[in-house]
Amino acid sequence: MPGFDFSNYNRNAALHARGVPLPKATSTGTTIVGCIYDNGVVNCEKLHYIAPKIWCAGAGTAADTEFTTALISSNVELHSLSTGRDPRVITCMTMLKQHLFRYQGHIGAYLVVAGVDPTGVGLYTVHAHGSTDKLPYVTMGSGSLAAMSVFESMWQPDLNKEGAIALCAEAIKAGIFNDLGSGSNVDVCVIEKDKPTQLLRNYEKPNERGQKERNYRFPRGTTAWLNQKVISKEDMKKYVTIETLSGDDNLAAGEKMEVDV
Amino acid sequence: MGSPFDINGGACVAMVGKDCVAIACDLRLGMQALTISNNFPKIFNFAPSTYLGLTGLATDVNTVSDLFRYKVNMYRLREERHISPQTLANLVSSSLYEKRFGPFFVSPVLAGINQTTGKPFICGFDSIGCIDFAKDFIVSGTASDQLFGTCEGLWEPDLGAEDLFETISQALLSAVDRDALSGWGAQVYIIEKDKVTQRLLKGRQD
Amino acid sequence: MVSQHGVQGVLGEDGIHVDMQHLKSGEVNLGTSIMAINFKDGVILGADSRTTTGAYIANRVTDKLTQVHDTIWCCRSGSAADTQAVADIVSYHLNMYGVVNNEAPSTQVAASLFQELCYENKDSLSAGIIIAGYDPRHGGQVYSIPLGGSLHKQSFAIGGSGSTYIYGYTDAHWKENMTEAEGIDFVRNSLQEAIKWDGSSGGVIRMVVLTKKGAVRHLYLPDTNYTGPGVTN
Repeated sequence: MPGFDFSNYNRNAALHARGVPLPKATSTGTTIVGCIYDNGVVNCEKLHYIAPKIWCAGAGTAADTEFTTALISSNVELHSLSTGRDPRVITCMTMLKQHLFRYQGHIGAYLVVAGVDPTGVGLYTVHAHGSTDKLPYVTMGSGSLAAMSVFESMWQPDLNKEGAIALCAEAIKAGIFNDLGSGSNVDVCVIEKDKPTQLLRNYEKPNERGQKERNYRFPRGTTAWLNQKVISKEDMKKYVTIETLSGDDNLAAGEKMEVDV
Repeated sequence: MGSPFDINGGACVAMVGKDCVAIACDLRLGMQALTISNNFPKIFNFAPSTYLGLTGLATDVNTVSDLFRYKVNMYRLREERHISPQTLANLVSSSLYEKRFGPFFVSPVLAGINQTTGKPFICGFDSIGCIDFAKDFIVSGTASDQLFGTCEGLWEPDLGAEDLFETISQALLSAVDRDALSGWGAQVYIIEKDKVTQRLLKGRQD
Repeated sequence: MVSQHGVQGVLGEDGIHVDMQHLKSGEVNLGTSIMAINFKDGVILGADSRTTTGAYIANRVTDKLTQVHDTIWCCRSGSAADTQAVADIVSYHLNMYGVVNNEAPSTQVAASLFQELCYENKDSLSAGIIIAGYDPRHGGQVYSIPLGGSLHKQSFAIGGSGSTYIYGYTDAHWKENMTEAEGIDFVRNSLQEAIKWDGSSGGVIRMVVLTKKGAVRHLYLPDTNYTGPGVTN
C-alpha cells in the first residue's frame, strides 16, 4: 500500500526496547468459512465487499482485514474498468497474496475469498504471510478448527444451495459455541452465477440478548454539577449566518455509510 | 514499564439517546500513580455537533487532537461545510491506519449528530483505526472495564437528553471511582440537534 | 538490545548464524516430503499433500507440485508463502521467455531462475525447491535448491522434513534408467515411508510424470494403501 507512515516507529521501538509493551490491535476472535456448491459459493461471517460477485471474509487484525480488502476492492474495480471485463476471483486472490507477501506477515489479515466469475466459482484462503489454498470448503480464524470438524464430518460433493447455506451456518455455530473468541451472529453471503448476490445479515442469532428485567433510570438532578455552558443555534446566529437544509435523505446520500444495526 | 495506554490514565464514554448523543470524560492527568493535573479534558470539538474523545498517552492525545484540528480545518476550507460525524470517523480511521506500523497510543471515541439526517452517531476506534460501530455506547481508557459494566447496567434505549445526562454521568462517575488512574472531576457534553450542553461534574478528588 | 526488524543474523566466533526456525513464526509451512527422479523416458516428481500451521493441518490435500512451464515443474518445501511467491515469479519469467524466444525454456534456465531468487533473498526466504523438467534437447533433468540457494544437478533428489527418513531407503533402492512403472513404484514406496515416519508429512501422494508426451498427473490415496487410482488426467 503506498503511504504507510513510519514516523512514530522509532519512538515506539525505543519504548518497546525499554520494556513497554506494543499496543494491542483489535483482533477479530472469529470463525470464517466458505463452501462451494453446484453453481455458487457460500461465504460466512465478517464479510467485506470486493466486487458485486466477489466477497471476502476476514479474520485476524480487524483494521488490517478492513483496509486490505478496501484497497484490493478499489484496485479490482479499476482493473475491471480498464479491461472492460468482470473481475475474476483469482485476480483478486493474486492481488491479495502479493500485497500480503510484500509485508511479510506484518499485515495480519487472514481471508477467505469467494466469488463467481466468467470462469466459474472460486473459493480460496489467503494467509497473512501470502500463502493461498484452493479448496471446496475452507475455514479460518480462531474457531476454524471447530468449524472444519463440521465440514469434515458433513460435507458432500453434491451440495445444493440450501444444503451449503445450512452447512456453513452449522460450521460457524460450531466456531461460536466452541471457541471463546468467536461470538454472536451468523452472517451469510450467497453468490450465484446469473443471480444477484444475497447478503443475509444475521442469518441466525443463536445468542439473542434477553430483555432487561429492571431499569436503573436516575431521577433528574441526581448528578451534581458545578457549572454548565449551553451552545444553542440561537447563540450561534449572533456570530454566523445559518442556513437550514431540507431533511431530504438524497442530500445525505454521499454521507451514507454501512453501519451494523 | 506499563503499557503506554496506562501511564497517564483517563476515561471516556459515549452514549446514544433519543435524538441526542452524549460524550463524557474524566479530567485527570497523571504519571503512573502521581496526579499531575485535575484539568485535562479529553474531549475535543470538531463541528457544531461533532465531538471526539481521546484517551491514552497524553502526549499522543495532544498530538492527535492537534492533527485532527488541522485536518478538519483543511476539510472545512476546501469543502466550505462542516465535517459530518461519519466523515470524521473515516478520517480518523484512515489517519490512524496510516500509522499502522508506528501507532499513536490513543483510543478515540466519536459522538455527534449528523446535521443533514438529524441522526445520532457514535463509534470507537482501536489505536490503528479499526472502527467499532455501536448503537448503544462506546467506552475507552483505563476505566474501560468498569465502564463496560456500568454502561451495560445503566444504559437503555431512547433516553431523552436530560435522562441521558444522568445515565452517562452516573456510569462515568461510578466507573472512575473504581479506577485509581481516572477521576478528579468529569466533563459531559449532551448533544442535541440544535443545542449542545456542556457540564462540569462534581466528582471525588482522590 | 534494541529490537529491530531485519536483524536476523548473529555474528559468532565461527561465522554468521541465522535462526531459520525463528524466521517467521506462526506461518503456514510445508513440512514436507518431496522428491523428483530421472527415469528412462523423462522425470517423475512426487510429493505428499500436508500443510501445517504449528500442529494443525491447514490443508490435507495440498498440491505441492507446481507447474512453471509446459514440461517444467517444481516440488515446493518450506514456507508456503515464500515458495508460492518464488514459483509465481519464475512462472512469469519462463512464460515471457517462451513468448519472446518462440521456444520453450530449458530446465536449466528454470533452475537458474529459481536459484537466483533463492540465493539473492536467502536471508528472508525459507524455501527448499526441487525442479524437474523435460526438454527435447536434454531430456529429463532434476535440480535441487536447498535452503542457502545453492543449485545441484542430480539423478534424483529428495527434500523436505520427511526426506531425512528415506535417505537410506532411496540410496539402497535407486537404479539408473528405470522404466516408468519402476520409477513410479520407487517414488511411491519412498514417499510412503516418509509419510509414515514424518509427522509433518501425510495425506495423499501426488505425482507428475514428464516425458516427451507432456505432463501426466498421478494420485495415490491412503485409503487403498497408496495403490491407486493412478493417472488422473
